[in-house]
Amino acid sequence: MLLFRSEENVNRWCEARGLPRRPLVSLDQLWQMSVIWYGNRLTVESRRPAAGEIASVFSSLGLTDPFWDPKADRWG
Amino acid sequence: MAEHDFDTTIKVAIYQITADTGSIPNAAEVADATGSSESDIVAAFERLHANRLLVPEPGDPTRIRMAPPFSGIATAFPVEARGRRYYANCVWDAYGVAAALRADAVIPARDGHTGEPLTLEVRNNAPVLQPYVAHFAVPAAQWWDDIVFT
Repeated sequence: MLLFRSEENVNRWCEARGLPRRPLVSLDQLWQMSVIWYGNRLTVESRRPAAGEIASVFSSLGLTDPFWDPKADRWG
Repeated sequence: MAEHDFDTTIKVAIYQITADTGSIPNAAEVADATGSSESDIVAAFERLHANRLLVPEPGDPTRIRMAPPFSGIATAFPVEARGRRYYANCVWDAYGVAAALRADAVIPARDGHTGEPLTLEVRNNAPVLQPYVAHFAVPAAQWWDDIVFT
């Protein structure tokens, strides 16, 4: 995933590569994702969210597009 | 010691050394730090990879490419924190380094299209918000199909 100054720059990046435009994530949402995934990573208790938890985590952050659905996560 | 407990010990050692030095340790360094054999550490690396907790260096099972959010190699996502430079795997992980360290951080990033410098900051466990956006090119269900690309 990459950072962009604006939605317009995302569109240009996608057009230049023939890639579909995906849902955008604000810095506040990105920070919350980071805390959930990595906030206790240095501790014994750390673990990544299980596949069954990920959809609800994204939903709680306002990320509800099917793009964020991990149900096909074969390693989950 | 049960295998589960050993792997947890190794995982914590990997992250603690990374946090303290700015670099992800190799198997020999983790062996020294934990009093284990290097072969046992390599086996633990393999199990931690199977559990999606780290990514070994391609072609070298004694080294780690990714211990998310940290990168084992220099990337376009450096993170300045605790007086050190860390490297993250992507912009999400750059914030993740600050979250994992629970430290203020400056992240000298760039616009993915224009290359324009865009600086992110974390202060007092919160981001200094800017009107920037992150774009994930790969759907969540496919993130681990090619985690280096993702």
